[in-house]
Amino acid sequence: MTIHRHLQARILGTALVASFACAQLAHAQTEVVFPVLVPITGFLSLEGTSQRNGAVLAIRNAPAGVKVVSEVTDTGVSPEGATTALERALSRGKVSAVAASMLGTQMLAMLPVALENKVPLTTVSGTAAITERNNPYVFRFFPGDAVAKAAHVRYAVEDLKKRRFALVYQTTAYGQSGRGHILEQLKKLGLTPVMEEALEPSVKDMSPVVGKVAAAQPDAILLHLHSAPTALFIKQVANARLGLPIIAGSAMHQPPTAALLEPADLKDVCAETNASPISGGTPEMEQFLRQYREQFKSEPDGFAVGQYDATMMVLTAAARGAKTADEIQKALAGTSYKGLAMTYKSDGRGNMAHSAVMICYDGISRTPKVVKRFE
Amino acid sequence: MSQTALAPTPGAALTAGIRPLLLLGVLCIAVWPALVSSAYELRIFTLVGIYALMALGYQFIFGHAGALSLTQGTFFGVGAYVTAILATKFGLGAHLTLPLAAAVPVLLAALIAAPVLRLESHYFALATLGIGQVMLLSAIAWEPFTGGSNGIAGIPGVVLFGTAIPKGMGIALFAWGAVACAALLSWRITRGLYGAALQVARENPIAALSLGIDTARLRFVCFLLSAAYAGLAGALFAHTIRVVSPETLEFPVMVATLTIAVVGGRTHIAGAILGAWLIINLPEWFRGLDKYYLIAYGSALLLTIIAAPYGLIGLLAKWRARWFPEAPPPPPPPLALPLRSSRATGDGAALLTVAGMVKSFGGVRAVDQVSLTVKLGEVVGLIGPNGSGKTTLINMITGIYRADAGRVTLGGVDITSAASHDIAASGIARTFQNINLVDEMTVLDNVAVARYRHAGGGFRSSFGGGLTDPAWHLARGHAMHLLAALGVDDCAQRPAGDLAYGLKRRVEIARALALEPRLLLLDEPAAGLNESEQADLAQRLRDFARAGLAILVIEHNMPFLMPLADRMVCLDHGCVIAAGTPAAIRANPQVIEAYLGTPEDAAA
Amino acid sequence: MLSQILLNALALGASYALVALGFVVILNATGAVNFTHGDMVMAGGYVALAVSSATSLPGVAVLALVIVAMALVGFVFSGLAYFPLKSRPPVAIFISTIALGIIFQNSANALFSAEPRKGPPLFADGLITLGDISMPRQALAIIGVAALLILAQHLLLSRTSLGRKLRATAQDREMAAAIGLPVNAMIALTFAMGAALAGAAGMMLSNTFFVTPTDGSNYIVKAYIAVTIGGWGSLAGAVCGALLIALFEVLFPSLPLLIPSLKTLAPWLFTQTASAILLYLGLLAIMFFRPQGLFGETVQRRV
Repeated sequence: MTIHRHLQARILGTALVASFACAQLAHAQTEVVFPVLVPITGFLSLEGTSQRNGAVLAIRNAPAGVKVVSEVTDTGVSPEGATTALERALSRGKVSAVAASMLGTQMLAMLPVALENKVPLTTVSGTAAITERNNPYVFRFFPGDAVAKAAHVRYAVEDLKKRRFALVYQTTAYGQSGRGHILEQLKKLGLTPVMEEALEPSVKDMSPVVGKVAAAQPDAILLHLHSAPTALFIKQVANARLGLPIIAGSAMHQPPTAALLEPADLKDVCAETNASPISGGTPEMEQFLRQYREQFKSEPDGFAVGQYDATMMVLTAAARGAKTADEIQKALAGTSYKGLAMTYKSDGRGNMAHSAVMICYDGISRTPKVVKRFE
Repeated sequence: MSQTALAPTPGAALTAGIRPLLLLGVLCIAVWPALVSSAYELRIFTLVGIYALMALGYQFIFGHAGALSLTQGTFFGVGAYVTAILATKFGLGAHLTLPLAAAVPVLLAALIAAPVLRLESHYFALATLGIGQVMLLSAIAWEPFTGGSNGIAGIPGVVLFGTAIPKGMGIALFAWGAVACAALLSWRITRGLYGAALQVARENPIAALSLGIDTARLRFVCFLLSAAYAGLAGALFAHTIRVVSPETLEFPVMVATLTIAVVGGRTHIAGAILGAWLIINLPEWFRGLDKYYLIAYGSALLLTIIAAPYGLIGLLAKWRARWFPEAPPPPPPPLALPLRSSRATGDGAALLTVAGMVKSFGGVRAVDQVSLTVKLGEVVGLIGPNGSGKTTLINMITGIYRADAGRVTLGGVDITSAASHDIAASGIARTFQNINLVDEMTVLDNVAVARYRHAGGGFRSSFGGGLTDPAWHLARGHAMHLLAALGVDDCAQRPAGDLAYGLKRRVEIARALALEPRLLLLDEPAAGLNESEQADLAQRLRDFARAGLAILVIEHNMPFLMPLADRMVCLDHGCVIAAGTPAAIRANPQVIEAYLGTPEDAAA
Repeated sequence: MLSQILLNALALGASYALVALGFVVILNATGAVNFTHGDMVMAGGYVALAVSSATSLPGVAVLALVIVAMALVGFVFSGLAYFPLKSRPPVAIFISTIALGIIFQNSANALFSAEPRKGPPLFADGLITLGDISMPRQALAIIGVAALLILAQHLLLSRTSLGRKLRATAQDREMAAAIGLPVNAMIALTFAMGAALAGAAGMMLSNTFFVTPTDGSNYIVKAYIAVTIGGWGSLAGAVCGALLIALFEVLFPSLPLLIPSLKTLAPWLFTQTASAILLYLGLLAIMFFRPQGLFGETVQRRV
């Protein structure tokens, strides 16, 4: 009898240990295949590198029990570069989710492929059109132009109390999309710009535009250019000593933009963005900042934070049991996630980020402060 | 690369040149779709096809016409945008959008051709670059129509007459079907007489004009063809990628096409396909190198162009010739081409009348009130010291230069302001001081291409025939006859550049005769010939004149010219200083002074 | 107002002139269009950046080092892009320079990352003000350096025996070889000179206009246009062409500021984008009506 009970106990014990071990094993084996397809070369390589860094850092911080298989592939600048990269990644086996290029036209090209293969794309592209195509596989972790430009304009009008605006924007997709939404927002407040002009990214000497801005006698400048052109414009405005406040788009918040300018040039400059990691704020953000600086020897920007949050949301979903692309897509579409920048939740069309922040520079340092949050 | 002759047996046809490799290539392409295992490989395959199609078109203007056009990418982009707009905004099916996508670039090309095509090489390149940039800026700025920088998304796949062609394999096969048709068309157009005419027009435009070939028209046709191919490629691209944005109009697309054409081979159809395959795949193969992959691509490209500056197909052909040399195919049998013996001497009327020709360059009068006549069956010698205006006069008669004043009539018809190639077709043939043969073409082809006008040469005629071009076959037969008449038929299959000077001279004369001219203008034909060659040439010219040809000879070589000429005209500083029989000219003191200085100087 | 605009145009034109000069010098000597020239300008900016962050030398010393370093780059470049292909069709050299351009761009991207960077000033940053007009110090420095280098180039070519040899090689390579000139050395030296000029331009530009790996293509297009307007092959023409382009780029969009009625007349015409389109259309008109440009020899029409 005793032997029988001992045996029973032993069998039970072994079974318990075995099942526990199996559970652990099953838990540790959630593999996520997460290609990172971003522009590393070409015109948007600065932003693409931010995306990559954010994704790679998130993978490093993957939650316990999640094993990530990831490869970084350059998408270049053309739409076909992006679709080729995506198909290449898909050809290498089951893909769970993708970190996708933030270039609007590349995203638009990747959407049909994602739909066919039922693979969710996570991105930080601001271009409005990508969530207007009824595609359930796109998830944007950056405030769309509708949100961002509302913040942009409302801050200028409501907080800075300005009414006469000169609008200078880029001829690229980023610029044209932004301009459209800025005009819409201004119209809602009953305003139109006193002057507007588009600039090619290759224009270096902006003195004609600066002159026209001055001649229109605005009380503030709304800027929506890419990184280097933003710095060039601000510098040339500073040289012309116009003394006008500038409210810029997200390119301003990127640390390399501020690095090109003297702190004094940045007085009265504000910008809209999803987050400004170098401004710190929360302990999690501080830790992110530390890790990023250590690993990549450079300053992170909001795009890196956005892609970090996007990747972490995917990995967290995997840690909670989502094993296939389908399940990850459902998790992304249905659940909410508290990230570094904000809490993300889909509005049904793939827009995950619904708040923006305004940052301002004080003219003494190149690190801005977050002055307002728009939900 | 010269045209190969009609091969007598199918076996020889298959093994000639690099054809075995080409057949292998075609087999690989045909089999590949069955071997691909992923959508990615299929996508690459489709892109290779699209770029191959664009490169095939580019070969017309860049390879065959030899003009560095930088609008090929623009035509591609226009085709893509046309497709995008018609398919998304108007819902048209591919059976309508594909032809329109090819047609609109052609219209654009026709519009810009007139001012742009007559510019010299780098100006032409820059003009086409400028037009491309204007199109790009317009596409970005014209937001309501083109979607601006965001472009147009949601382009459907290819829908022909209501049936959708499946994505992936479907569109890949469709694209390569288009490539096959395009390649076939390219081959038809360039395989025979038209292709030879294109070669002469680009290698030696002045010679081409003197053979009656309208070089401007050839370039124009090539430009339009290149636009059509590019537009179609753009349409296929739009249907494959489903998004069209200004990136398709940007310079990198043009650079890729140029690279493909140069690396593959500028005139070989296989070169376009091989080049496209290499240029599209190379960056993909190097992807494992992470962020250095484009550096590797650039290095590979550099090594390739250094190893094969004439293109990979050219390299393969060279290897074939070096390691597996083959005997040149036998020349075709001669077909008789009677020299006109009608209108022999008798009526005494002048065939060519030149009256009061004047030409100034800057402030210098090169030709000053020169008049002369040449009758049928007569040999007229034109002499004078260097710089007296002899060649300038001939260039005016043949339409290369526009006369400032004066009149030229041929057989009663005023040809003063006629185009050079029309003058050649109306019966004046000429040779050049520096022998304008095309060195890379065979002797036979050099002469055969002169039959262009007589064969009704032109774009439409190139479509005729089957595997071979019958007009070309005929032309080569006639050429053999003429080469035999001048005693150089054994050199027929050799590249013209290999020949000795004296033989080249005879080939050039044979070529001039191929035009069946009424008047033959020879510019220093005896230069570089030894005495026996000179005697032989003089005899032949005598025979031609006896047969009814009018001949005007520029010469410095008096022992050659004096016994040959019936009459002579002497120029000095652009004016006629003497005209008459050789004996009279020889004794004329002004002539002696012009050549030798004053009689006192001559004696000293 | 007008004087400020003209001064701005002069500063911009001086930089374009340096770029165009290097481009035309190589074009003259070899007949080769160097598609990498714009990327050499970019490279000069990065070299300046590297030197100034590694050492604490004054701007002028950095410029000297940049010129020497880029001259070396030019030598090596000629060995890779030109000499292996010099007796081949010129279009092969297009491809080799395109390939090297890809290598340059992506090497810069790999070494320095994609962020725009600001190069060191020649003397100091900051503005100089004279009454109504204010100029960044660097803009004046650009004008000064460009003038100096153009003058030096001119003196070298017209007054020294080395310059005579270079010109002889440029005019007629075969003849030069026939009379015993070391033609290959002369050509390599020309590439070095062209690259050095590009490098100097790059350093000066990198402070005012910043530098990114993809800057090159814009500069090469401007150089190409400048050389065509000025006359293919003419050094003075290239400089003039560059100044004209800069003048047009700065003056034309500013016309509504000088003539206020234009603002209401056709505001879309004086935007930056419209000016760019007009520049190209103007270029096409020049090529159509006067293809030899301002200083070039009459161009034979294609037959």
